[in-house]
Amino acid sequence: MPPYPDIPKQFALTGEPIWTFGQAGRDFEVLGIPVKFDISYTNAHFTMLLVTAILLVVILIATRVLSDRPSRLQNVVELLVEGLMDFVESIGGKPALKYFPLFGTLFLFLVFSNWLSIVPLVGQVQWLHAPTADYHTNFGLAVVAFLLYQVEGFRKHGPRYLTRWFNFSGFSQPGGLVMKAFLGVVFILVGLIELFSEIFRMLTLTLRLWGNVLGGEIMLVVMSALLVLPGLAEIFVGLEFFIGFVQGLIFALLVLIYFILAIESHEEHPEGEQHAETHVDLVHAQAA
Amino acid sequence: MNLAWLGAGLAIGLGAIGPGIGIGILTGLSSEAMGRNPDASATIRTNMIIGAALAEGLGILSFVLGILLSGKV
Repeated sequence: MPPYPDIPKQFALTGEPIWTFGQAGRDFEVLGIPVKFDISYTNAHFTMLLVTAILLVVILIATRVLSDRPSRLQNVVELLVEGLMDFVESIGGKPALKYFPLFGTLFLFLVFSNWLSIVPLVGQVQWLHAPTADYHTNFGLAVVAFLLYQVEGFRKHGPRYLTRWFNFSGFSQPGGLVMKAFLGVVFILVGLIELFSEIFRMLTLTLRLWGNVLGGEIMLVVMSALLVLPGLAEIFVGLEFFIGFVQGLIFALLVLIYFILAIESHEEHPEGEQHAETHVDLVHAQAA
Repeated sequence: MNLAWLGAGLAIGLGAIGPGIGIGILTGLSSEAMGRNPDASATIRTNMIIGAALAEGLGILSFVLGILLSGKV
């Protein structure tokens, strides 16, 4: 039996600092996750730099000379952008195209970061650590996206945006005094649960992406150690490729959906105009 | 007997039940929908992949807890 290669006992859950600028506070621990306040440049930052550099180089080469008869690379980039725009429009309609740059940036950055975790040297060399396998990256992106869509909600609705969480309209529903009191309390509780679940979204966004990428790295190492012959683990590389793409898409899509949910209004729409539209469509269809 | 290891095992073991059932139901219903309406296959398949990734996210949350607990020894 050939000797099994070493499965590392401890996988790197986050990046390691390359050089440190100093401390900004005291370190503490939250449920086993260390929260450090040292300001340092980690190997996850360095790999993020590589991802950004690769994306920039590709985009600059593709858009250097924009022509009406596009070259091959420009054609591919145009196909990608158009495909993403159609996807965003199918999710949210025309108002969702306003958030297309954020969606596109998140999608491209996250998909390429996830794919970088499959590349051979990343994760084993001291200087390279896949950015999304480090929960700091994902948490930063999730917090920024959360703040952005809250600001967008406030911008669209004004202070009435808060009424979806602190909902006192239960006290003015039709009914007796007991019914009003009961509904009032129920609506307030539902609003608070909604507020908690909105804050919880940051955590699930982070952990979903981090868990998938880190779990994929662990699975690749363990599977290629169990299947002793080289090359048998290619199927898992393919699975990791697919999962990286899907998880990047899911993160960007969820952020887009949170934006759409924040700007939609919760009031009742008058049903009259919708009935009129469908009636007109049916008449046209019968006439044709 | 180390309770952290027991916790890690229970976390991933019990945490895989929910997403497994959920994704099974999801795939079954979307396959039936694709059989009834083959023209809408692309839309249904896209929604199925998105739904599967969201359901799997919750299983990943418990996997993450298992990793953290097993690293504590």
